[in-house]
Amino acid sequence: MTIVKPIQIDVANQVFEAWDKLGVAGRAEKLEQAIYSLNHEQAQMARWQLANARHEIGEALLMPGPTGESNVLSTHGRGAFLTAIQPGLTNEQANVGLIGQMFAALVAGNPIITVGPEGQALMDKMAKYLPEGVVQNVAESAMDSIIEATDLAGVAIVCDAQKAQQLSLQLAQKDGLLCQLVEETNVGSLSTIAAPHYILRFVTEQTVSTNTTAIGGNATLLELGSKAE
Amino acid sequence: MFNALEVLQPTILEQPLDSLWSRISPLYSVNEEEWLSELLKLAEPSEEQLKASTDAATHLIEQVRKDDESMSLIDSLLLEYSLDTKEGILLMCLAEALMRVPDKETADAFIKDRLSVADWASHANNSESFFVNASTWGLLLTGKIVTMDETKDGKPANLVNRLVNRMSEPVIRKAMNQAMKIMGHQFVLGRSISEALSRGKSYRDKGYTYSFDMLGEAALTQQDADKYLASYMQAVESVGQDTYGKGHRPTISIKLSALHPRYEVGCEERVMTELFESVKQLITRARALNVGITIDAEEADRLELSLHLFEKLFRDECTKGWGLFGLVVQAYSKRCLPVLNWLAALAKDVGDRIPLRLVKGAYWDSEIKLCQQRGLSGYPVYTRKESTDVSYLACANFLLSAHTREWIFPQFASHNAHTIATIATIAEKLGATTSQFEFQRLHGMGDALYNRLIKDKDVCVRIYAPVGSHKDLLPYLVRRLLENGANSSFVHRLVDARCPISELVDHPVTTLKSRKTLRNPFINLPKDMFADRQNSFGPNIEIESEWQPFKASVDAFMGQETQWTAYPIVAGENLATETIRTVASPYDHSLSVGKVYWSTTEIVNQAIDSADAAFPAWSQTPATERAACLERMAELMEQNYAELVAICHREAGKTIQDSIDEVREAVDFCHYYAQQARQNFAAPKPFTNYLGQTQQAQLTGRGVFACISPWNFPLAIFTGQVVAALVAGNTVVCKAAEQTSIIAFRAVQMLHEAGIPKDVLQFLPGNGATVGTPMTQHKRIAGLAFTGSTGTAQLINRTLAARGVAPVPVIAETGGQNAMIVDSTSLPEQVVRDAVRSAFASAGQRCSALRVLFVQADIADRVIPMIAGAMKEQSVGLPYLHATDVGPVIDQKAQKMLLDHIEVMKKEGRLIAQSALPEWADKGTFVAPTAFEISSIDQLKDEKFGPILHVVRYQAKDLDQIIDTINNSGFGLTMGVHSRNETTCAHIAQRARVGNLYINRDQVGAVVGVQPFGGQGLSGTGPKAGGPHYLPRFAKEQLV
Repeated sequence: MTIVKPIQIDVANQVFEAWDKLGVAGRAEKLEQAIYSLNHEQAQMARWQLANARHEIGEALLMPGPTGESNVLSTHGRGAFLTAIQPGLTNEQANVGLIGQMFAALVAGNPIITVGPEGQALMDKMAKYLPEGVVQNVAESAMDSIIEATDLAGVAIVCDAQKAQQLSLQLAQKDGLLCQLVEETNVGSLSTIAAPHYILRFVTEQTVSTNTTAIGGNATLLELGSKAE
Repeated sequence: MFNALEVLQPTILEQPLDSLWSRISPLYSVNEEEWLSELLKLAEPSEEQLKASTDAATHLIEQVRKDDESMSLIDSLLLEYSLDTKEGILLMCLAEALMRVPDKETADAFIKDRLSVADWASHANNSESFFVNASTWGLLLTGKIVTMDETKDGKPANLVNRLVNRMSEPVIRKAMNQAMKIMGHQFVLGRSISEALSRGKSYRDKGYTYSFDMLGEAALTQQDADKYLASYMQAVESVGQDTYGKGHRPTISIKLSALHPRYEVGCEERVMTELFESVKQLITRARALNVGITIDAEEADRLELSLHLFEKLFRDECTKGWGLFGLVVQAYSKRCLPVLNWLAALAKDVGDRIPLRLVKGAYWDSEIKLCQQRGLSGYPVYTRKESTDVSYLACANFLLSAHTREWIFPQFASHNAHTIATIATIAEKLGATTSQFEFQRLHGMGDALYNRLIKDKDVCVRIYAPVGSHKDLLPYLVRRLLENGANSSFVHRLVDARCPISELVDHPVTTLKSRKTLRNPFINLPKDMFADRQNSFGPNIEIESEWQPFKASVDAFMGQETQWTAYPIVAGENLATETIRTVASPYDHSLSVGKVYWSTTEIVNQAIDSADAAFPAWSQTPATERAACLERMAELMEQNYAELVAICHREAGKTIQDSIDEVREAVDFCHYYAQQARQNFAAPKPFTNYLGQTQQAQLTGRGVFACISPWNFPLAIFTGQVVAALVAGNTVVCKAAEQTSIIAFRAVQMLHEAGIPKDVLQFLPGNGATVGTPMTQHKRIAGLAFTGSTGTAQLINRTLAARGVAPVPVIAETGGQNAMIVDSTSLPEQVVRDAVRSAFASAGQRCSALRVLFVQADIADRVIPMIAGAMKEQSVGLPYLHATDVGPVIDQKAQKMLLDHIEVMKKEGRLIAQSALPEWADKGTFVAPTAFEISSIDQLKDEKFGPILHVVRYQAKDLDQIIDTINNSGFGLTMGVHSRNETTCAHIAQRARVGNLYINRDQVGAVVGVQPFGGQGLSGTGPKAGGPHYLPRFAKEQLV
């Protein structure tokens, strides 16, 4: 197995932490500005992905539990994502799908790398609203080197079933983390990309558990102890 | 049920001691309604008594309010700074930790953290933690609870602005120092007994006497225990020399947890010998000098143990005929009355009187919290304050009775004017003279009240006074007092002229009876802690009445005559094959657990075909019905608790508490996923699609799911994966780790019994080659859940991808290289306790276990030797014994890998400590807990799954670099942080790429639905098990 680390992956890894730190709201705010440069259907998809992200992962969840501790579940990006359309499948609807992938991946907290002329076109429209390096583009010929990169977090692609299988096999051959394949094989309806749980494929979750009584006492409990009915 | 009124009969003390003892433990978590109904009878005053106590209390308060000196030191503290309450809170939060921070940088950062606007505001938005603690501080200082609403209304940012504008940083530091001095004086009588004796003179002139206590953190090491014993001994000597005044002689109070590193039920043998000897030594010297000794009360779990020890000491020659050896009993404990009853009978039996301090109890918060965390049957304490007051008065009625006071010298500790006045009226009614009891109060509290009382009545008042260095004592006292906020509340209201006296003199019986329910409806029982599902149950093995029947039920499965046989189960049939493996216990390979028939490739294929055929019907079964099967499974596991625990011991080498936690987690998975399925799978969910049209999304099963689980949580992870896949509408073929197939087999049997159709769930025991490979090569596998090593996950992923079918979901939970970061604001005792548990519990065989502890260099020389000392106290041994902390590792392969790593580390690192192994350890596969100091996490190539801890020192300025090196390991499962600086905690949480971050606690034992668990990067794919996003990954989201 060749160990390769294209420069784009390095760049993505460098900007990842800051991009992730913005949170869903902070990223959505920036991404929203980019929507105005998109065509109607693309804009609809982009807007929907942002709204869906706010709904599904917008707020950290306060988990129920015993008194005296706080447990908060939040989501973060997974890392660099390749977002692409299988070469040869490009059409207007696939481009809408690509926008869905890009916005979902980005708003979830990931830096992305797009591919080829259609990727370049979208990147050009969006880049000025986003921190440098959060969206990058590579030539079609370089796509494989990104896919093969060891710390690529995932590939989101509009493709046919055969390409999905081939990519799945290619990603599984890599060492290191299990690189996620988020494939959309139904270009007509975009039934994967346009579904509410799609966004979850782009996140990793973090639980922060705090012992709130480390310095003693638990006011909430005391309050309950003396609360009148 | 114990008949409370019976204690008023003099004949009660004639009953056999055993019989009186047997009444104590069953009341541990007795139904609060029922028991209080009983207790009320004993506390209920007659109309005449009610009037007498109300009048007496009213008179007392009126007098106190007339006195000039009613201003307490706490009030002075507030006046000194002219701070409003909330500003006071900020400073007080510093007080708990600032004094122990050795380096200026961390101290400055800590001050900045507490005072910075941004941080304060972020807590207002994100976390209740600081507010909750801060509110408690407010309680301490002002005597009233600052509710969350009030805090929000107080606009925190403005508050900080006010404070910061008013004071520059040096002024704040100066103010802090002054606050420390005042607080030190407030809470600590003297840094040494001689200082305390000297400072106490003015009070003794007024008629007070003292009980001194060298309080501090519990000892975690023998060294600390020795240090505490020496200081108690020194105290006895000093008090022995004291000749001041003619009044009652001062005594010494001792805290047993300071005198032994393992003062706990599991170590009863050591407590009854080693701790017994230490206390005896103290008593012998104290008796020679005529200095009375009182044993303090601690946590509810230790009550029965403390009584055993007390009895042994009380029956010993060292105390015989003395009459000054006593103890403290807590009225908030449901067991209080029978304990007093037994003690009185014991005193009568021995023929010596026992001085007995009746307190209300100071561990209420943590008692409630622990019960909820452990899923216990109920609470050992009352859930309303007035119930504790009722219990206090009921107990006083018993203690002051003629037949009791002959054998018990009651010492009533309270700062509540009503309680004190009522005690006095009860004493009068029962004919007890003021020489037959005394009052006690805390140093710095209740001055005004008792100054008045001591003037009015000829009664002994003893001040309980902490003695020791302010730096060591203040954090401890602050935490204790925070838990006991109710006392300070009364003290403050007492001197607050705006508070009408009539509100202060309500009889607790009247208050309690005015409630709709005797139990506090706002504090749910542990089983009802979650609004939408039941919590799992755990017996409390520290309590005789729960432990003994539980142990007996487990023992029934522990003999060699009990053997299990596990088979492949295909379409409900147990299939015998030609490959049979016998299973031996990891702690003793000569002991057999049973045998396992391994699956063949043919059986694997047959099972998958059968599961595939069953899929359409199962996926059409309503989600609520599938969920009901999980609920029944949870019930069945709790019904078969004992057998499952026994298999955990015998097959997996798990200790008792680990085995209980194992069953609880499996039960929780069932309840949680059932609830999640009912919520999200039962009906399609409408949403507006990207084109603006309303659409429905329905989660449905995907087909046949393969589940492959590890040996380290052989029931919990196994069950969790399987029931998640099932309830999402999939059929399942599952393979347990070859080391732990028996418990998995029993779980599958129970799942079938719970209503999962036979062909929907198929069980395939065997190893990776015989089962794992054919399973993952099969084209009908529609998804896979795996927990195990990163390498195996990659292998499985490759096999699945090579099938030439559409990609399927792979949910993999893999390894970690888990770190804990400890800065110099942390409390070393908390750090060591949590680090030792995180690294060595379950013999380090948890995915979440701590592997690399990063300690800030400024405190490393304090923390590292303490870890070494605490490791010496770890007991490695038979997992089914209560005394055992660490059991065996799973098998010889694991043992060899770990022992090899220890040898390498001996060359490359510095050995900190290694716990002892039992002599017979080579009967099984044991690895001694071992700790090394190394220079960097980079010295470790991969995870070593066992009880080996690595410690790295770091400089405070290098924190970010440390986080980078941890992130660079590629793993990202758990991380622990110990720091009082919330900015630091938030910064680490933001930067650390880990799935589960634990702050100021241990980093193991994630709870289903509370702490969703799972990692990132090399540690797993997500979504988190036991979290809200888990089930959808097992399902298809169909848009209709």
